[in-house]
Amino acid sequence: MENVATHEDWKVCLSEVGPGLVLFARQWVQSLADAEDIVQEAFVRFWRRNHNITNRALLYATVRSIALDRIRGDSRRARREALVVADTEQSVEPQFQVEDDSQRVVVGALDRLPKDQREVLVMKIWNELTFAEIAEALGISQNTAASRYRYALASLRKILPPQ
Amino acid sequence: MNDFSDLEAQLKAIRPAPLRESFIGRVESEINQPEMPLEEPHNVIRPIQFRTGWIVGLGLAAAAAVLLLVRVNFQPPRGSARTAAASAQPTATSAPLPAKTLPNSFVPAGSTQVVYHKRDEGLLFAQNSEEPMRRLRSITRETLQWKNPATGASLSVSYPSEHVELVPISAQ
Repeated sequence: MENVATHEDWKVCLSEVGPGLVLFARQWVQSLADAEDIVQEAFVRFWRRNHNITNRALLYATVRSIALDRIRGDSRRARREALVVADTEQSVEPQFQVEDDSQRVVVGALDRLPKDQREVLVMKIWNELTFAEIAEALGISQNTAASRYRYALASLRKILPPQ
Repeated sequence: MNDFSDLEAQLKAIRPAPLRESFIGRVESEINQPEMPLEEPHNVIRPIQFRTGWIVGLGLAAAAAVLLLVRVNFQPPRGSARTAAASAQPTATSAPLPAKTLPNSFVPAGSTQVVYHKRDEGLLFAQNSEEPMRRLRSITRETLQWKNPATGASLSVSYPSEHVELVPISAQ
């Protein structure tokens, strides 16, 4: 099958979904570079086969699958590195464009969410997936996806100071 | 409507970090590269059961050979001759003798397959596949049983096995 996508097509797609995908991938890896590697592998693989990104659930499922495979493969190495990193000052690249202190507090609160809730929140808020797409990507029911989203918001509300 | 709309708006106001130029350049160079013939994905790890599968196969073959030998040795030639002679003579009372009519050999008595762990390992693109597939891994224990109806002896072979299924997404 010939790839009929033009040079600019993939750039438009990547610019649309890229930041959200990298944010999504950052949940499983510490460094931005690792997240970019995951997104690059998923996006290129996906683009070559589908030539578009209409099936967003599958795209996110592919990112997730690659990230989880990487975690399994690197778990031993990561444990060794974690011991070293723990002793050094860690500089983590920012995941968001934070504009003020209130946003910084919100971003800090996001890191305290359980992983399954944060995952759904990231897909819903910053990637604008529907609950049906989230459910398909994660292999869960739509009700579960919606519940996790509500729990995430409720948890955030408890964590964040009242305004 | 829900009462989280203010919080949702607050979250949406925070934008993810933009893509780095170096990242876009890397993607561009990879997309522009001619597609290489697909090799087996590096993230598919052959379970050790597959690598040593020939050992299990050899064991099963040996067990089957033993069964065949046992079956041959258990055939009593005299008993067979006696049964044949008796059947040649018509009798008035045809009450069957179960002990003599039972085959004196091992016959398959049953097999069980217990799946004690099943895991959905997510989506992947398998070798030479255009469509994504879902990888399902199940670990089972299979047991084969034979019985000798004449002697009541039984034999069973039990071994662990691991199955990996690749299910096309379109088939789900």
